[in-house]
Amino acid sequence: MKCDRRQFLKLTAVTTAATAFGGLGFNFGPTAAMAEKLALKTSEAKETTTICCYCSVGCGLIVFTDKKTNRAINVDGDPDHPINQGALCAKGASSWQLTENDRRVLKPMYRAPNSSKWEEKSWDWMYTEIAKRVKATRDKTFVLKNEKGLEVNRCDGIASVGSAAIDNEECWVYQAFLRSLGLFYIEHQARI
Amino acid sequence: MMGSNPAENHPISFKWITKAKENGGVLIHVDPRFTRTSAKCDIYAPLRSGSDIAILGGLIKYIIDNNLYFKDYVINYTNAAHIVGEKYKFEDGLFSGFDATTKKYDKSTWAFELDADGNAKTDPTLQNPRCVFNIMKAHYERYDLKKVVEISGTPEDKLLEVYKAYAATGKPDKAGTICYAMGWTQHTVGVQNIRTMCMIQLLLGNMGIAGGGVNAMRGESNVQGSTDQALLFHILPGYLKSPVATDVSLEEYNKKYTPVCKDPKSANWWGNYPKYSTSLLKAMYPTAEPAQSYTWLPKGEVGKNYSWLPLFENMYKGDFKGFFAWGMNPACSGANAQKNREAFAKLDWMVNVNLFDNETGSFWRGPGMDPKKIKTEVFFLPCCTAIEKEGSVVNSGRWMQWRYAGPKPMGQTKPDGDIIYELFLKIRELYAKDPKAVFPEPIKNLGWDIATNHVYDPHKAAKILNGYFLKDVTIKDVTYKAGSLVPSFAMLQADGSTSSGCWIYSGSYTDKGNMSARRDSKQTPEQAKIGLFPSWSWSWPVNRRIIYNRASCDPTGKPWNPEKVVVSWNEADKKWVGDVPDGPWAPTEKYPFIMKTDGRAALYGPGLNDGPFPEYYEPLECPVPQHPFSKQLNNPTALQFAHETKSVCDPRYPFVCTTYRVTEHWQTGLMTRYQDWLVETEPQMFVEMSEELAKLRAIKNGEKVIVENVRGSLWAIAIVTKRFKPFTVMGQTVHQVGIPWHFGWITPKDGGDSANLLTPSVGDPNTGIPETKAFMANVRKA
Amino acid sequence: MAKGFFIDLTKCTACRGCQVACKQWKKLPGEKTQNWGSHQNPKDLSYITLKVVHFQEVVVDNKLDYIFFPEQCRHCVSAPCAMQAAKPGAIIQDEATGAVIYTEKTAELKFQDVADSCPYKIPRMDAKTKRISKCDMCLDRVQNNKLPACVLTCPTGAMNFGELEAMSAMAKKRLEEVKKTTPKAVLGDPDDVRVIYLFPVDPKLYHQNAVASLEAPLMTRKQLLAKAATPLRRLFS
Repeated sequence: MKCDRRQFLKLTAVTTAATAFGGLGFNFGPTAAMAEKLALKTSEAKETTTICCYCSVGCGLIVFTDKKTNRAINVDGDPDHPINQGALCAKGASSWQLTENDRRVLKPMYRAPNSSKWEEKSWDWMYTEIAKRVKATRDKTFVLKNEKGLEVNRCDGIASVGSAAIDNEECWVYQAFLRSLGLFYIEHQARI
Repeated sequence: MMGSNPAENHPISFKWITKAKENGGVLIHVDPRFTRTSAKCDIYAPLRSGSDIAILGGLIKYIIDNNLYFKDYVINYTNAAHIVGEKYKFEDGLFSGFDATTKKYDKSTWAFELDADGNAKTDPTLQNPRCVFNIMKAHYERYDLKKVVEISGTPEDKLLEVYKAYAATGKPDKAGTICYAMGWTQHTVGVQNIRTMCMIQLLLGNMGIAGGGVNAMRGESNVQGSTDQALLFHILPGYLKSPVATDVSLEEYNKKYTPVCKDPKSANWWGNYPKYSTSLLKAMYPTAEPAQSYTWLPKGEVGKNYSWLPLFENMYKGDFKGFFAWGMNPACSGANAQKNREAFAKLDWMVNVNLFDNETGSFWRGPGMDPKKIKTEVFFLPCCTAIEKEGSVVNSGRWMQWRYAGPKPMGQTKPDGDIIYELFLKIRELYAKDPKAVFPEPIKNLGWDIATNHVYDPHKAAKILNGYFLKDVTIKDVTYKAGSLVPSFAMLQADGSTSSGCWIYSGSYTDKGNMSARRDSKQTPEQAKIGLFPSWSWSWPVNRRIIYNRASCDPTGKPWNPEKVVVSWNEADKKWVGDVPDGPWAPTEKYPFIMKTDGRAALYGPGLNDGPFPEYYEPLECPVPQHPFSKQLNNPTALQFAHETKSVCDPRYPFVCTTYRVTEHWQTGLMTRYQDWLVETEPQMFVEMSEELAKLRAIKNGEKVIVENVRGSLWAIAIVTKRFKPFTVMGQTVHQVGIPWHFGWITPKDGGDSANLLTPSVGDPNTGIPETKAFMANVRKA
Repeated sequence: MAKGFFIDLTKCTACRGCQVACKQWKKLPGEKTQNWGSHQNPKDLSYITLKVVHFQEVVVDNKLDYIFFPEQCRHCVSAPCAMQAAKPGAIIQDEATGAVIYTEKTAELKFQDVADSCPYKIPRMDAKTKRISKCDMCLDRVQNNKLPACVLTCPTGAMNFGELEAMSAMAKKRLEEVKKTTPKAVLGDPDDVRVIYLFPVDPKLYHQNAVASLEAPLMTRKQLLAKAATPLRRLFS
């Protein structure tokens, strides 16, 4: 039998279309002839840089977002980042699945007193109702002067914990917000 | 690596640790368990959880006895030569000044002997018996090999291997670094664990040099940032102090917290304190005089501890009506977690901001809870993920890195910044409408210019952190216009003419742009030798990459190691070359440790709550009734609640238990347990135990077992492993087990619940961090 | 242009980045697993797990070691599975890179034949569709000048990818270095595969199918061609 390798491959070629990577289903590989280059599903995507949200080594990520759907379609390590040079551990490598996750809560939810379930509410309703309670509790539990007659201006009835998972700018405005209300019981992950 | 497990918990750091090994570095891992880290190390030494100070104290003794300390460094840069006052005593586990009723120390007995200027007297010849060096030497005399081995269970030959290898870095051309994490912090002697290592690094001349340092491997993407921005009761942004009731005015407050030092060679950088506190007040309250806005800041009660453990203790007692659990899951992360879960039921309302439904927001439907009996209202606000928004985070190396938004926030989720922005506006609206509102001033006057077109704008907030000139300010013949960004904290003023949300971030967002967004990996050959990357992102303070870097040179400004230069003094140009110098002064002008009041690094540290020297104590739950170093079994000043039982030599709970993490899950697991790629790798709660312990309890590998103690009980899959071995402690066999704290009842279905159901609510007396690394438990067949 | 991997097991820390990155790129589902008394999961490769990290605790020369084996298809230089495949177009070996690719036409193959032909027991079948799958060298990434997902994600330099000659040279050089402190180190079938593992200790300790030569020898060329010739003869006659 005389059949060199190239002939062998041509004979086995299949002529279906070259795009096997359109959606997000199982992705086992090409059905196209090897003579044609495979499409890269991320080639049309918007690329943005970010930093991994986990352990604090601070690895760089590249997020590939579909321009039409505005959903992420892939997250790779950033090869240019001096810290990780493209590398990511299991958690970082899984970053896409944290965001494109159908178990995320997508609407505000409220649990009423003694209820055994969550109810969906609007953001406006949430802001209004939370603000009412913050004000009511603060006004009720505010301490202007302590037992020794010293000015303390403290809201003793509300405490806050969180968060090491939010950005610096958010942390700062959050601490400003809490301290403007007079909270002193302010804590977060750094303490544990 | 001790008190840490970098290959598993900071995996990408291991890229560089691997390279260090390739370049001839010696890797040492001291850990109760042989882990994925230990497998790559040259030396692995086991230790029983909680016995770190014995091992580290032993290393101090080894270094001194064998004359391996870096003399020039120690004499010139530390307080080794300082003379301690006559009142200082140490006897049988207690320092002078201990009050048995309050369980606190009067630290005044630890003070230095002072000269007329208020500076400590010194003896650079180190002959004076009361100089720090000699007192330290005497203190660690007890920490001989025999005692260390006796209490830690570490084999003597392994201990010597560790000591020999590490003490060899005391040479000018050698560097040793320590990467530590929760294995050190989560103890009732947590701070002293770390202090002991600081002392070792100072003795060996390893601070401020390339490849040196005491390196905390922090745990969350922005816990460094959130700490800098002071989401902790005891500090204000930039590590300023939270005022207490007796700090009656801004003037009094500044006076109290601004250290004074009459030694002209001490830079005493905290002497600039009023500039930073005043600028912070202007950032928070731009339209008010700082003296006025200072009064709007809440003041704590003197001596009262508002930290995590007391917070939940008080919540449990019913002290709080409202609670924000913002991007946190205390139902699983807090020590003695059942206490937290029951405490939530005492609240009137809870605001829970998170990505997913979690054990905290849903506490009312958790195990053992009857929703019909729980009145707590819960407001769950869905936030978006990190890749859906823009802002900065700071890593363990203080690199402030900007992040961009890729996909849009999914569904109705919002960036946390948007939520905070809107919520505050709503609250302010209510206060504006109510003439009878209680003390509305701070709310009315809070600066809230953080939006563009009514949408939260992280760039505006970032600029607030950096700071502005609020008036035209002239410094050294340069006039900075009102409204311009401050180039660095060196320009901040104490007279209200500047603002800065966080002085150490000054310089991060200037007229040159957003420094944290920089992506230039260019380095000079000298910088490349130490991997400085000065133009990639921005590190606080002022883009300095290695803090205290003038200690990497001798007192004339010549690098101790010319092969690995961090900074060096150029006499011709009269300036430092290399990293941003930790102080621009000429070498002979100022000591290098500029944030210490007297400019010297502390071998003797008279400011901590449990002693000026680290001393060995057992964890509050321990398997032995005594230890070889003193009669004081536990840390007498540890944070604890008298009504809570601790297991000391309790036969029902004979095994030491520790908690830890795996690469594949993260913290309470709330984010990772909802991802099937990660749950696939680690699907269930497990307990690792030695083959010997498994035999003792007739437990088979893979079998479901119960782990229990005074606080609770949970099931776990047994992983019977060679990587745990029983310890011989004080002559008896002590078994140790380990459990991860990544699981929670909400998901996956047969995943298990939180390890923190077993951990004790006891903590370090300086930080209040719970002792979740060493407590007692029992393990038995289910 | 022929590509290869060099997998240096002296550097693998079992961070599972590779295992997850593969799933992430291909959007393969996670498996339902249970903790079976080990940190390894899943227990084995499957049609949706194309890369799995094996964990073993071993005692070698009285010293405890914790060794890790990130298992994947070897993309054999002359792949037996490709050579014996009875259906044209089912198993393709890419001319340029040498990647061995399983197409959807593998559903028409007899799985046992494919499985038996592999010295490393890599191919796995989806019981529902009968399609057979395994690592495809991330050919779409490679053809577009990106590294395979598992290689990009690896932090320590365990995973290396490039021209086969270069990888082979790298493997041999590293072997010499490693042998200085670990004399029993070996490369796994370095002349027969494109995925060359460096085993610091006996390959059998990592996995029973870690190397071909010890248990299931590669078929001889004659045996392979005998199998491959049949369908082609039909086409030509």
